[in-house]
Amino acid sequence: MLVKDYMTRHPIMVTPETPASKAQRLMIENQIRHLPVVGSGKRLQGLITRERLRVPPTDLGSLNIWEISRLLSDLQAKDVMIKRIDLVTIAPDISLEHAAHIMIQNKVGCLPVVEDEIVVGIISEVDMLAELFELLGGNVAGVRVTIRVPDQIGEFAKITSAIAAKNWGIYASGGVPAPKMPGFWDVVVKVREVPRDDLVAVLKSISGHKVIDVRECTD
Amino acid sequence: MTELKKTPPVLKLEDVAVAYKVRGGEIEAVQHVSFEINRGETLGIVGESGCGKSTLAWAVLNFLGNNGYVKRGSIKFQGQELVGVTGENLRRLRGDQIAMVYQDPMQALNPSMRLGDQMSEVLTVHRGMKKTEAEQRCMEMLDRVYMPDAANVMKRYPHQISGGQQQRVVIAMALLNDPALLIMDEPTTALDVTVEAAVLDLIADLRREFDTAIMYITHNLGVVARVSTRVAVMYAGELVERATVEEIYKNPRHPYTQGLIRCVPKLGADKARSVLYPIRGRVPPPNNRPVGCVFGPRCAFIQERCRDQRPQLRQLPDGSWVRCHFAEKIDPSSWTPYDEIKTPENLQRDLAGEPILEVKDLKKYYEVRGSSLKDVIGLGEKRYVKAVENASFQLTRGTTLGVVGESGCGKSTLIKTIIGLEDTTSGEAHFLGFDITNSIKDRDRSLIQELQMVFQNPDSTMNPSYTVGQQISRPMQHFKTVPKDQIRAEVIKLLDAMRLGANYYNRLPRQLSGGEKQRVGIARALASHPDLVLCDEPVSALDVSVQAAILNLLLEIQQEYNTTLVFIAHDLSVVRFFSDQVAVMYLGQVMEIGPAEDIYAPPYHPYSEALLSAVPIPDPTVKQKYIRLEGSVPSAINPPDGCRFHTRCPRRNLLPDGGKICETEIPPWREISAEHRIFCHLPIEILRDFAPVVTQSTEEI
Repeated sequence: MLVKDYMTRHPIMVTPETPASKAQRLMIENQIRHLPVVGSGKRLQGLITRERLRVPPTDLGSLNIWEISRLLSDLQAKDVMIKRIDLVTIAPDISLEHAAHIMIQNKVGCLPVVEDEIVVGIISEVDMLAELFELLGGNVAGVRVTIRVPDQIGEFAKITSAIAAKNWGIYASGGVPAPKMPGFWDVVVKVREVPRDDLVAVLKSISGHKVIDVRECTD
Repeated sequence: MTELKKTPPVLKLEDVAVAYKVRGGEIEAVQHVSFEINRGETLGIVGESGCGKSTLAWAVLNFLGNNGYVKRGSIKFQGQELVGVTGENLRRLRGDQIAMVYQDPMQALNPSMRLGDQMSEVLTVHRGMKKTEAEQRCMEMLDRVYMPDAANVMKRYPHQISGGQQQRVVIAMALLNDPALLIMDEPTTALDVTVEAAVLDLIADLRREFDTAIMYITHNLGVVARVSTRVAVMYAGELVERATVEEIYKNPRHPYTQGLIRCVPKLGADKARSVLYPIRGRVPPPNNRPVGCVFGPRCAFIQERCRDQRPQLRQLPDGSWVRCHFAEKIDPSSWTPYDEIKTPENLQRDLAGEPILEVKDLKKYYEVRGSSLKDVIGLGEKRYVKAVENASFQLTRGTTLGVVGESGCGKSTLIKTIIGLEDTTSGEAHFLGFDITNSIKDRDRSLIQELQMVFQNPDSTMNPSYTVGQQISRPMQHFKTVPKDQIRAEVIKLLDAMRLGANYYNRLPRQLSGGEKQRVGIARALASHPDLVLCDEPVSALDVSVQAAILNLLLEIQQEYNTTLVFIAHDLSVVRFFSDQVAVMYLGQVMEIGPAEDIYAPPYHPYSEALLSAVPIPDPTVKQKYIRLEGSVPSAINPPDGCRFHTRCPRRNLLPDGGKICETEIPPWREISAEHRIFCHLPIEILRDFAPVVTQSTEEI
């Protein structure tokens, strides 16, 4: 689970001299929200987001229609992009949680992935959500159980060995510190092709564990 | 993951037409082509030659030359229009985002530059990388394409590495800039099956790893089945069918696709039980296409509507696209062969009949001159290229011997020695009871007359200033097989047999297509009524439908004249189809010889097994065992001791001590049956236990 596995390779890119109107059309037509601006050799120079293309009405208030059209036709990608110096980027060999941390801290929705200043891909919050989706088993049919366990070593092993003893397989799993419950962890497991009640019975039989949520998903 | 997120296609063509300006107007080479390629997807483009496949590839990159241009439609790369892009922008696209690999790697590499220099140039020029760093990157990329000894290869010149390795360098070079789109135009056509298999594996790996969109152009249906995710079939400049690879092979909708599939022999098919059906006629030239459906004149299902109205590309309910008025109504099983195709019968041959050619321990060595002073004055140790080593076989009248093996394994030398173009170093060879090991000068003229040859490349074996009639009549005059006043009639009779007709008599070679030239070559070989015809890759350079026609022709002739054939080919399906007996050669040594059906089923020689697992099969549902030979064929000057195959043999570890015996001792002939022999240390029981290489998967995809 590294950035290079989840990023979009070969993103659509434009040159700094591309007219802003063309960049805007590209983004709308291809339903993308981020457009890296690259020079020769795919070297990163900036990034256009949909926000950057929004011209504040106050700027236009004093202009007449001719001036507006001239202003727009003269506008190039390099005039509207976030400049390289203000951009946060990431390398392909970084873990996804690290990438997520950077995005949270900088409050950005997308990181261009660069290697020696050359754009190799782009990773956005959608890619992160895709990873979360995959991590928890997405829309695969099965029983999804959340168990609240004490925060100590060996508790997760109890769950896995109880499930393994029954010859079932865990398709996906994850754990987070229980919200507002210090000293506890919430563990989510997804088990496929198993009777819901049997699974719950097995998990309930583990002492100290509490099944707090059970749901069944179909395809 | 990729299914989860929808991404725009990397390349999108919409109603593209490409035209060439020529004297007196212009020709639309490609018309109405639309398709898209997504990232991580390979689109295979197939069709006969002259269907506009390469033109399409050039159009994407604007490599059409001065007289070519995109006349209509749009080509969008990553959402941006490519038509009309010029100058710096185009240069940047070609270098940074789109890469190409063409058929002949030697033409893509600069012969006067070391490989390392030309590769790192890509990085230093396009990316402004430092020289040392660029070289490091190139080395990593060479490792990625499984190039053995990458550091050493960087220091060599292109001619110092083999063809397969050259192609890998070109692919590595194309990938250096991490292109979003890779265009490959017949990248494996010039390579051996074993190398081809390795390159195809590599392409599939790289597609997954780099998420590159690949446009893969080929005429080989087997290769398409192996690499593509989707297939587009082109005919006469138009896209006639587009579907997933499984759908194309399982359920071809367009009559042309159906025809193409009927042209190629399935691996395991033989001439006694199956027939190849060539598509009649040929691709119309771009300036003379029919008004209605372009395929109409060659289509078996043609109706009135097809003659007047050009069909549109339309989507069928199952998702595939087809350009045919009657795609839903055509049932391929109702197809009947054209009248002019005679289905050859009684082709099962008896291998135990009268032997016409007997070869025993035949050797052919070439002396290699060293360049030291000792060598020049003749005192140096003599070294030899052992091109053929101890070849022994018998050929029964009226049967066919197929010879297969990688390039450089002595197939052509073997038949050149038999025909007398090369003298024999030692051993015996008897043809009709006569000794043929002596020089051709001492051979009796009547003996020469009985031995004829068909060459691979008809272009280079025909005198360009002689007419077809002159070419064919020459052997008749020379051997006086036909009285002078009847020669013309005899030539026309032969031309008719080749389905060329009397009007070809006065044509010059340049006025013929490749398939027609090869037919003339065959007619010339048959003109003296020979008993034995040696064919050196007669169909390798031809389109599948022409190939099918030539093979049928040879079969028919063989039947009519009871001719004996030696048939060299690198396509194992063709050899299996065509031959009664097959010899597998490696480094001059016959490794396995036996009846065709026995070679293609266990017990196998490990080398035959590897060849079979490499051959691309035109059926995506077939499962092949994965065996890839490492390295290339060792030099014949210094062949490995013991078993010549031991350096690459994947099976030698089945013997005690990891096959030590293979390195030191020459293997024995294992007699499986009277006709079937295998040259291997492995005991017959182990050879028998090998699982079959090719299995038809039982579950439907």
